[in-house]
This record gives sequence, C-alpha cells and structure tokens, in this order.
Amino acid sequence: MALKLEFTMDKETCRHSLNGHGVVMHSHHYLALITKLVEDLGDLGGPQILCEVVEESMRKILDDYFLKNSLSSVEDRCRAGVEYFSTFGLGKMHIAGDENGGKVRLTSSHVDEGWTMKWGPHSKPINHLTCGFISAIFSAAFNKPLKSYGTTETASIVTGQPESTFVVTALQ
Amino acid sequence: MTVMRDTVVKALAKVQVQSDENGLIPEYEVLVNLLPVSLLNTFSERIMAAAPPERKAEVEAGLVRAAYECGYHTGCGIITSEIFSDVVMPMVTEDEKDILRGAYAAFTAWGWAKSGIVQLKEAEKMTIRAFDYYEADSGGQGLRGFMLRGLSQAFFDLAYAEPYPDGMDTYICHQTKGLEVGDSYGEFVVVKK
Repeated sequence: MALKLEFTMDKETCRHSLNGHGVVMHSHHYLALITKLVEDLGDLGGPQILCEVVEESMRKILDDYFLKNSLSSVEDRCRAGVEYFSTFGLGKMHIAGDENGGKVRLTSSHVDEGWTMKWGPHSKPINHLTCGFISAIFSAAFNKPLKSYGTTETASIVTGQPESTFVVTALQ
Repeated sequence: MTVMRDTVVKALAKVQVQSDENGLIPEYEVLVNLLPVSLLNTFSERIMAAAPPERKAEVEAGLVRAAYECGYHTGCGIITSEIFSDVVMPMVTEDEKDILRGAYAAFTAWGWAKSGIVQLKEAEKMTIRAFDYYEADSGGQGLRGFMLRGLSQAFFDLAYAEPYPDGMDTYICHQTKGLEVGDSYGEFVVVKK
C-alpha cells in the first residue's frame, strides 16, 4: 500500500503541511552544514542530539499515520516509514529485521550525496539524521518506547561505499 | 509594472516537490529535502540548550550559516529557475529590487516566512518584516529567526554583491524584533559587513 500523501497549505500563513504535520523545504547545503555543525559540536553531544530529535519527531508522525490509517502489521509500518523517508527526499531505504533489531541499507542518501556534492568524500560515516529516522521506524513498528533501539552506521556512501548500511539493536 | 506580490505568492504556492525513484528531490540545482518543522525547531533549541553560555554564539552562528549557504546556493537556483522566469521575471522592471521582491514572495509562498521588504537602499541596506515564520514557534528564549537571517543575507548577496558564486559574505543580517519575544512582527536588517 502506497503512503497516502495529503499536502495542505494554510491560506493565512502559507505554511505547508504533509498529513497534518508542518513541513518546510531546504536543500542539501542546509543538511550538510547541520551535519557538520553537530560533528564540530561532538563534545556537546551534537550527533546524539540530532539523532534523538529526529527519532522523537518522526515517531510522532509515524504513530499518527499508523493510527489514522489503521496500520497494524510490522511490514506495513516499516513500508510507511521507508516511504516517508523517500517522500522527504532523504533517499532510498531498505529494511530487514525483527523485534530484536535488524539491518538497514540506503541505496541513495540525501545526506551522504549532499555532503559529497558540497565537500567531497569524508573519512567516516556522518548520517546521524538517518540513524534517528531508523530508530523511529523500528520503535514505532514494534510499539516500543522511544530509545528502544540503537542504530549504528557501519558503512557509508560518503566514504565511497556503494551503499550505506546500518545495524539496529534492541536496547534492553 | 513591478512585482505583484499576491500574484507571485499564489502562483508559487502551487509548486510541489516530489521525490524521484531514488527518493531524492533534485530541483533548483540542488538536492531538496522536505523536513518536519517540529524537527528543525526542536533541533535548534536542543543544540542551543546544550551549549554553555560562552559557546552559544558559536552554535547560533552555525545555525545561521547553514541557512545562509542553503539560501545563497539554492537561491541562485531559484531565481534562475523556469518557474521564477515564468512567474516573476515578466514583472521585473527594477532589476535587483524586483528580484528581491519576488524572492520574498517565494519565501512566503513556500512557507519559510510570511515576509516582505519594508525599506531598501540599493546595495546598502534592506529591512524585512515577517508576520509569520516557523522559527517563531521554537519555544526558546530570545530571538530565534536564524533561518530568515541567513536567507536575507544570502539574497542580498545574490542581488548586490559580486556575481554568483563570488559574492558570499558581503552583507550581514541582524534580527532586531521577533514574534518569539512578543513583538508584533519579526524584523531583519541587512547591511554591509
């Protein structure tokens, strides 16, 4: 089942929403610099902050979508999460796993390709945004609380790999 | 004729971005993303909150810089795009001034900020007022229009500094009023650096 997309605009403010949640367009320059900012603020927990904020924000959107569209199976929920990822222009995601965790691949990635377009390849993975997105999909799909899953990027397009891979682990 | 703001807003508001088979949105010479406003605002507040007082200016500068570079590069793609040429350029009679008027109509139409130019001294100073912008909802203390600061600086650079891509960092934008601090509008002033 394809993700149902309802784009609306507030006539007074011109703010845009997707499925009832406010959204706004930016470019790869913005996300590349936000990613660089959190890397530079590693001593303040920058990457973790970005990851957690994405997980929290996406979890609300996914929970709302599952409820409104009566999605109860893990497969349907994961598919919706993957399609949200693409709808936001963040790339192509492939999920495999179960309640205990899994493996996720990106065959294209806005963050990695954007970073590479801006600065060229990097020496290590930097896709903290997608780590949070994946954790949100897993916790939402399996009805677990936030921070139930840890996601680690193990291979990355930005380092020259053909795909990015992420390992998802249930945190008990 | 000069740029008729309402006409531009109506026409540009209909533009919808759509991802391709790779889940990417290549538009305006960049990769576009569409992100939840709550995510962006919460991130700004958390990262600001994590910084000790002596480093808040560094974090704030990083957030403005992200908006600025996004605005400078994407802005160039926007004002040279087919949609801008079709909708805005036929109304342009005052060159840079009208292109800036068209740009703020685009900011409004695309939900960045319901904003417009209230004072413009060519190549010297521009004052913007915004009556709605998503960062006003961020819940933080103090002025929070990081995005509109960066975008305003970027578009003034595109209009009056050296031609793209050599005109970066010629001007700077300061926020002087904010909905988020109880003012009736946000005000942004661009001047030479």
